[in-house]
Amino acid sequence: MSIRKQLAVMIWPVAAAAMMVAGSAGAQDKEEIVIGASVPMTGPFAFAGIQFNRGINDYVEWVNSQGGIRGRQVRYIGEDTGYDADQSVAVFRRITSSEDVTFYFGDSTAFQQSIEPELERRDILMTGASFASEINNPEEYPMQFLLGPDYGEQVGILLEYIADENPGASVAFIHSDTEFGRDPIEGGKKMAEDLGLEVATTIVTPPGSADVSAAALELRRARPDYAIMHGYVLSPIPAFIEQARQMRLDTRFMGTIYTMEQGIIDQMGETAEGFLGVMPYRYYYDENADEAPLLQTIREMHDEYQATTYTQGWVAGILMQRIAEHTLDAGRELNGTNMRKSIEEMENIDTGGLIGKKFSFSGNSIPVGRIYRADVSEGRMVPVSDWIELD
Amino acid sequence: MRIGSPKETYAADEALFRTRTQWAWFGVLLAALAGFPFVANLYWLYLVCLVSINVIAVTGLNVLTGYTGQVSLGQAAFMGVGAYTVAWLENHTGSPFPVNLLAGSVVATGVGLIAGLPSLRVKGLYLAIATIAASFILLFIFKNWESVTNGTRGIGIEPPSAFGVALENPDTFYWLVVPVTVVMLLLASNLFRTRIGRAFIAIRDRDISASVLGIDLPRYKLMSFGISAFYAGMAGGLYAYFFGSINPESFPLLMSIFLLAAVIVGGMGSMLGSILGGIFMTLVPELLRYGIDFLGLFMENASAVLSPVRTVVFGLLIVGFLLFEPLGLAEIWRRIRRFFHLWPFRT
Amino acid sequence: MDWLFLFEVSLAGLGRGGLYALTGVAFVLIYKATRVINLAIGEMLMVGAYLFIGFGAGMALPLWLAVILALLGGALLGFVLERTAIRPLLGENPISVFMVTIGLSSVLVGLVEIIWTANPRSLPDLLPRDPIFIGDAFVAPKTFWSFVIAAGVIAVFLLLFRFWRGGVALRATASDQGAAYAMGINVPAVYSLAWALAGLLAAGAGILLGAISGASSSMGVFGLTVLVVVIVGGLDSVLGALLAGVLIGWVESVAGVYLGGEYEQLFTFSILLVVLLVRPWGLFGTREIERL
Repeated sequence: MSIRKQLAVMIWPVAAAAMMVAGSAGAQDKEEIVIGASVPMTGPFAFAGIQFNRGINDYVEWVNSQGGIRGRQVRYIGEDTGYDADQSVAVFRRITSSEDVTFYFGDSTAFQQSIEPELERRDILMTGASFASEINNPEEYPMQFLLGPDYGEQVGILLEYIADENPGASVAFIHSDTEFGRDPIEGGKKMAEDLGLEVATTIVTPPGSADVSAAALELRRARPDYAIMHGYVLSPIPAFIEQARQMRLDTRFMGTIYTMEQGIIDQMGETAEGFLGVMPYRYYYDENADEAPLLQTIREMHDEYQATTYTQGWVAGILMQRIAEHTLDAGRELNGTNMRKSIEEMENIDTGGLIGKKFSFSGNSIPVGRIYRADVSEGRMVPVSDWIELD
Repeated sequence: MRIGSPKETYAADEALFRTRTQWAWFGVLLAALAGFPFVANLYWLYLVCLVSINVIAVTGLNVLTGYTGQVSLGQAAFMGVGAYTVAWLENHTGSPFPVNLLAGSVVATGVGLIAGLPSLRVKGLYLAIATIAASFILLFIFKNWESVTNGTRGIGIEPPSAFGVALENPDTFYWLVVPVTVVMLLLASNLFRTRIGRAFIAIRDRDISASVLGIDLPRYKLMSFGISAFYAGMAGGLYAYFFGSINPESFPLLMSIFLLAAVIVGGMGSMLGSILGGIFMTLVPELLRYGIDFLGLFMENASAVLSPVRTVVFGLLIVGFLLFEPLGLAEIWRRIRRFFHLWPFRT
Repeated sequence: MDWLFLFEVSLAGLGRGGLYALTGVAFVLIYKATRVINLAIGEMLMVGAYLFIGFGAGMALPLWLAVILALLGGALLGFVLERTAIRPLLGENPISVFMVTIGLSSVLVGLVEIIWTANPRSLPDLLPRDPIFIGDAFVAPKTFWSFVIAAGVIAVFLLLFRFWRGGVALRATASDQGAAYAMGINVPAVYSLAWALAGLLAAGAGILLGAISGASSSMGVFGLTVLVVVIVGGLDSVLGALLAGVLIGWVESVAGVYLGGEYEQLFTFSILLVVLLVRPWGLFGTREIERL
């Protein structure tokens, strides 16, 4: 046990007793900071929700062992929603009615959209699993920020990489027919044209579609140099790539954040070779971990690989911490409105290296990402670009 | 112990509340509903609002499925129609919210009538499948009629306001949704004291005999679809106001299944069943949450490990009720009541 | 008009239809014998795929053994479901039985998530990957092989129905339960047999589907399209399931490519509605619905 932790253990009972004596008014300063969360631990998004939940739990344990945020302990309460917006709201109500929540984590675009007015009333700052372009709008969603580039910006980063590597190349968009899948497509097409890229075709797959061989034929007819796939977790990406190989297409396939999980290599094997994608966080095995003290902390806590959605939990935690510190240092009370100001003021935000570059928020998002390539022989994602920041 | 309740007129026999005790209990219930917001916190008020919305939708479905015997898996899609109508009116015309809610219900009724057309040709399970098809087609419209529905991005709706107070929180919204639910329930209960309601029941019990008795099957079946969709539209409109934003994924097939499950668990062909089913099925996930909290005291990471259990429990409830208590919670309630009526004697 | 392209798309559609047909046969088998519309068929598929993952990747058994065990597991699942949840409702309102299968599907999803977690998975490599050409037309190898296997399995089953004692008993029960009883056929055993065989077929379809598109706890939605297939074909017609399976697969692929993927479901469900309105007993089903 570190000295700090020992101190904390000794001091806390005393502090708690003092608080009880002093009453609620005097205790305001040293109150706990509560992070609430509606987490999808079941349902179609559970793969991410479970990891996120672990990540933020570990973060909270770590930050408390470090003495908390400016001396205030942090407590995390996350509950399952089954990725159902009704239940996300129910969890929100349940947690906020018994706790004085400062930060909240939301699990879906639908929930994050519908809870915004309530956040404003309660003055709670929120982040979430959604990277919807819609939410990246400080006017409409002042109480929220994103944990990376929005989907549109992710596609933007990919397109910039393409324009840089292969000017004038042709690009296809392949997306699922869902809110998630459709999000960046219109913007992406426009941006591709602005960058002088040719949009070869746009292929829509219905949600849960099993066999994409007809759509793969469509891809062959368009023969794009690159294909950006969005709105999927795993299926049908492997099927598309396999069939493109069999048809001797040299299209390079690209994905966005939720497809860039290590699992894509583990699950796809050989087929994953050369898959490109954008990721705003460092992978567990990042080679420059010396630049990322928090990544080292994660590695000390866990010997085995940790998913990027796990890292996302840490990023959520550390960003909330930075925003809270900035607000407290400015002598302001810790509430949503003041933290919004902090988001606008803060520069060179340091996430302990989990995001590879220091940044300032642009709107509600963090327009930073890096292009990685799946290297099957090494069994990991290797960076092929530097950290890209969109302006 | 109660001996009996004699009646002197037919009107008294078919009255909604037949005894003074029932009137008294109804009064107690209303008083409790009126007092609830002053003692409950926002979480419980949120749940009551959600329960009320679901009870309206379940009641509508019960009229169709429980009383008329037509299975529908399209109730959520009709809710969507109501919700989108309300959202469009709210954002484009600025008409007052009671008008919007009614308009939403009426439009949903129209769509329900169209979706009910297959019921003239097929029945039973075929009909259930036809309503699945109808709900997928509606979903397609929600997704792709961009100018009205704003596509998959969804639309935001400002909260309604009454007497200068914005009904934006469960504690204020409660005063809209609960009275509406009570009225809708009374209307539905009264429906089955009329010729129409009895025609529905006759169709359920044996459509051919009903037809022989002179009941115009197409007309009454469509009417049942229409009424059911009206309730769905009202529930959908309230849902839109309550959540403040809707998108096509707010009304999935799973929600229709949930509503049908609530009808079954509550009790088909029973108003009390609609209420109990709506309450029970909405609260089950919440109760399980408390169970998981409790187990969390003993095991680490309980919520991550135990969460899929909720999916299993949802399924087991449907299966269990159908196997062991096909008349649903309403029957259990009746049994308990009978027990107290006859106490100290045994039934 | 690019005819080669249309031909290729059609082949892809037929390949997709093969799986629909196979699952459709499982569905029809259950319906013919027990008059149950089984909405849990998609989830039975899912369990088959996950059993294969469990045996093949989890326990690292040889793949052929894993396939056999997964098929047997599927059969056992069908058997158990029938005995525990369907049998007690014998003679009840068909709508109750229908709802029971909806409940069962939810139970199966939950169990799979508890045992194998909610992460999407790929299956161990089962089907050959070398590209296949029919003339100049390319066919995706997995689709091709799954079609061939599905066709083979269906052929075997058709022969079984025709010549095997159990198959004859099944058909007898389907056509007249009372008479079958009177002839000394053990009807309850036939019920179990039908569910077990359907479970086996569904597990097989699940393994093939998983090999093509991976497994996840939401892959049961496949069952919805199968529902369309069997209604269009006629609920009690094996031939109908086969032809409608291929037809729906073809329509989906052509609509998806020429109009866009968002139209696939619109087309299948519109076909369903039209069939229900015009010919509710399906293309090849027995006409037994009372006109009202």
